Amino acid sequence: MSTVVKAGPAHAAGPAHPLAHRRPLGDRGFALLALIAGLLVLVILVLIAITTAQQSANWFSTIGLKGFFSSTWTVSANKFGPMAFVYGTVISSVIALIISVPISLGVSLLLTEVLPRQWARPIVYVIDLLAVVPSVVWGLWGILILVPWLQKIYADIASGLNGIPVLDSLFSGANISGASFFTAGIILAIMITPIITSLSREVIATVPAIDKEGAYALGATRWEMIRGAVWPHSQGGVVGAILIGLGRAMGETIAAALVIGDSPEVTSHLFYSGFSMPAVIALEFGEASGEFRSALIGIGLLLFVITLVVNLFARAIVERSARKMRGA
Amino acid sequence: MASATARHGRQPGVPDLREPAGWRRGKNQLMTALMVLAFLIVLVPLVLVLYLVIQKGAQAISWQFLTGSIPPNVMPLGFNGSGMGPAVVGTLEITGFAALMAIPLGVLGAVYINEYGGRSVLSKVISFMSDVMTGVPSVVMGLFIYTIWVLHFGYSGLAGSFALACLMLPIVIRSTYEMLRLVPDNLRQGSYALGATKSRVTLTVVLPAAVGGIVSGCLLAVARAAGETAPLLFTILTVETTNTNLFSGANTALSAQIFANATSPYVGAEARAWGAALTLIVIAFVLMIVARIITARFTRYSR
Amino acid sequence: MQLRGRKQAITAGGAVVAVALLAACSSNSSSSAPSSSGSSSASSSASTSTASGTINAAGSTFQTNFQQAAISAFKSVDPNATVNYDGVGSGTGRQDLYGNTVLIAGSDSPVPAKEMASLKGKAILYFPVQIGPIAIAYNLQGITGLKLDAATLSGIFQGQITTWNNSAIAALNPGVTLPSTKITLAVRSDSSGTTQNFSQYLVDAAPSTWKLGTASTISWPSTARAGDGGSGVAQIVKSTPGAIGYVDFSTATASGLSAASVKNSAGDFVAPSSAAATAAASHVTPKSDLTFVTADEPGATSYPVTYQSWDIVYKNQPSANDVALIKAYIGYLLSSQGQALLTPLNLAPLPTSIDSAAVAQLSQLTS
Repeated sequence: MSTVVKAGPAHAAGPAHPLAHRRPLGDRGFALLALIAGLLVLVILVLIAITTAQQSANWFSTIGLKGFFSSTWTVSANKFGPMAFVYGTVISSVIALIISVPISLGVSLLLTEVLPRQWARPIVYVIDLLAVVPSVVWGLWGILILVPWLQKIYADIASGLNGIPVLDSLFSGANISGASFFTAGIILAIMITPIITSLSREVIATVPAIDKEGAYALGATRWEMIRGAVWPHSQGGVVGAILIGLGRAMGETIAAALVIGDSPEVTSHLFYSGFSMPAVIALEFGEASGEFRSALIGIGLLLFVITLVVNLFARAIVERSARKMRGA
Repeated sequence: MASATARHGRQPGVPDLREPAGWRRGKNQLMTALMVLAFLIVLVPLVLVLYLVIQKGAQAISWQFLTGSIPPNVMPLGFNGSGMGPAVVGTLEITGFAALMAIPLGVLGAVYINEYGGRSVLSKVISFMSDVMTGVPSVVMGLFIYTIWVLHFGYSGLAGSFALACLMLPIVIRSTYEMLRLVPDNLRQGSYALGATKSRVTLTVVLPAAVGGIVSGCLLAVARAAGETAPLLFTILTVETTNTNLFSGANTALSAQIFANATSPYVGAEARAWGAALTLIVIAFVLMIVARIITARFTRYSR
Repeated sequence: MQLRGRKQAITAGGAVVAVALLAACSSNSSSSAPSSSGSSSASSSASTSTASGTINAAGSTFQTNFQQAAISAFKSVDPNATVNYDGVGSGTGRQDLYGNTVLIAGSDSPVPAKEMASLKGKAILYFPVQIGPIAIAYNLQGITGLKLDAATLSGIFQGQITTWNNSAIAALNPGVTLPSTKITLAVRSDSSGTTQNFSQYLVDAAPSTWKLGTASTISWPSTARAGDGGSGVAQIVKSTPGAIGYVDFSTATASGLSAASVKNSAGDFVAPSSAAATAAASHVTPKSDLTFVTADEPGATSYPVTYQSWDIVYKNQPSANDVALIKAYIGYLLSSQGQALLTPLNLAPLPTSIDSAAVAQLSQLTS
């Protein structure tokens, strides 16, 4: 039986039925309201792009293309090259992914494949607890507890690795600081683990049981079943989940701002202080004016574009693999 | 035939053709052990943070802390205590108003996508973009409201609410949408058959059927917004006095105070930061637990 | 079950709103300011307690602690006036004054020559409000009472002395075992009057060794860590073992930092304190516009790295109400009750002669 209400203006013949004619005004009003609410999402995204572009036009026009790729950031000399922050964002996010991905995948596989339902539920609560701790509390714990503790550990590692060719340019050096790229990577890893875990869980849960049972029937151990039946189906979705985690790590502001060390330098030493795009905006915006402020808004626009692209890509991958699954 | 899987026990006397070779079993056990290890690694920071926040925060917390005023940097002689009263008020009013804006709009948006949009391109685009919007960094939202509101109307709690509402909107849309999808279609069909208009069906049949899930999703969004700092940095201009007027004048919030105190060298700042952190975590946890209870007991349709 | 769910949701929402209202009401009534010790009779003739309106002031972080205390005490003197002070640094405070976003700029140094053009020919008045020591704060576990002099300070802050057990420092501190920790410099990242006065002291007291000049921003050695505002520097020193930085004494003590004793021109090592700053200021003769320098003053008990701060306003104000507000507030800062707030904050009151001259200058404000 099809819906009766959607009829437009009355069709030609037949006796008039009270409900077959115009939709009442209230109903149309509600539909319009819903449409406006839905469009709000698009409107906000477009407005973000437009307003930040407007406010940062001053900076973009002043530094030009060459200045854009410079990493010299000296406020007093009016030099606002953003690359040091892009570098810091990328490095700390990559470190976060390297730490977080194996752990997230391990936990999500544990929850979906290994543990029986009753055991899985409390563990899901634990993951949710991890997610609900506000980022500023992670930052507070980071800067007051983690940073001093890591300072000593970094110093030990640095002196231990001193002299070994590649490792020493990564982990040694004279300016070891507890607040550094690596510490920011650790805190970011803690913060993105819940989201990668929960998204991966959703993806892995959609793998058809018949493939899994089939693998077991052929005598596979659980790990072999995961590699052979689960992974091929879910790899697209899991990659998408990882990219969403990457986007989140790049955009994380407060926790990174507190532990990254606030030093706009491009350096291979992971234990040195660095800076990141959201951190510099949050920390320096208060007293900024004129071109400085325009530069910070420009960095905000850059961050918006980068995270937008990463998220678009990630969601598209997840969408595509979900569609494949539904087809399967 | 299909009943023979590696999980079932061996029949005595029957040769077991399913037993995997030693190294394969070992590898399997190693992998399982690694997965358990992964979980234990996840537990470590969680336990550490909760332990420290509770231990250090409890030392600072008292009813006077939650309602008293924020002391100046240099404590005058004889002033004995610390307070976060203005910040508690600020967090409640700013987050409350943000929820007031984001929840109806988010629910309506999800209603559009699920009920009215159907298979149209527009609704798919809106659904996709709202997922993408959950990934917009909070600092960008703060900058956005700064340029579009604060530059014209000044700092206020209202601006902070706008920024938080922008953050909450996609989360509410997504969770409401998931819940609406689960409501079986025959409920809607039956209502249409009885002659109800679409808005009536949505408001009186579909939404009430999904209300448990919707409320719990909204509570989680509120918990997330209460903990956000970056959007507030650009919109409320952290001050130290209570401002019950949401619409004018700078304001403060627990998250902004924690941030300010985390980098403050003054004696006593650290204790206040831990106390405020404990307060914030308690608020977020309570919201989360209430959301879980609502999901468990009042959700009619779940996955 | 649906009905129950909705009711529960509404009850929960109502409870949250009730808690919020309760919190708002209770905190409104309990928001207290530290009680001002002054009596209600104003001794300075320039203060009028009936001005109403808002004063926006910004600038020196050296003044922040004094302004915070004065603003809350001033509320009981003149309930109709609201004063906002934003500690953004002397340089930014002056910029805000040129841009007319504030009525009063707090600045630890007079308007430098290169900023004179921004005044656009308008006359300004300098009102000195406080004196205080610049503390040389350091983070060395177990070592208190470190002694330094201008030459050593130059060497440290120019990056020539890099470790704590350097012979120059050891020579000044016999009997103290100095560690081999690297010295980390903590300096100001923003345009700062404290930087200006600290470098002025080094120019005056160690002219042959100090090469970096004096200005609101200095090109410190590249390894120096910069912080925003006095509290930023204090934060770096507090959290970095082996750090040394210059920060106003009020902020240093409020942060629990140790401060070094500095050798003054009489040859004595004097620790920073309110009394030592007062002793230094007693030798000062201000110019006719009430600007002066308190660095490196003579006297056996004077702390050599003492400085001062002014509230700068335009002589000609657009409205008579603004004139009344400024006279009321700055009059309060200069009054005996206002100045009495300084010593508990580890700052020092103005010498009486300078205070009276400043009070007299209030009458020069016109609208």
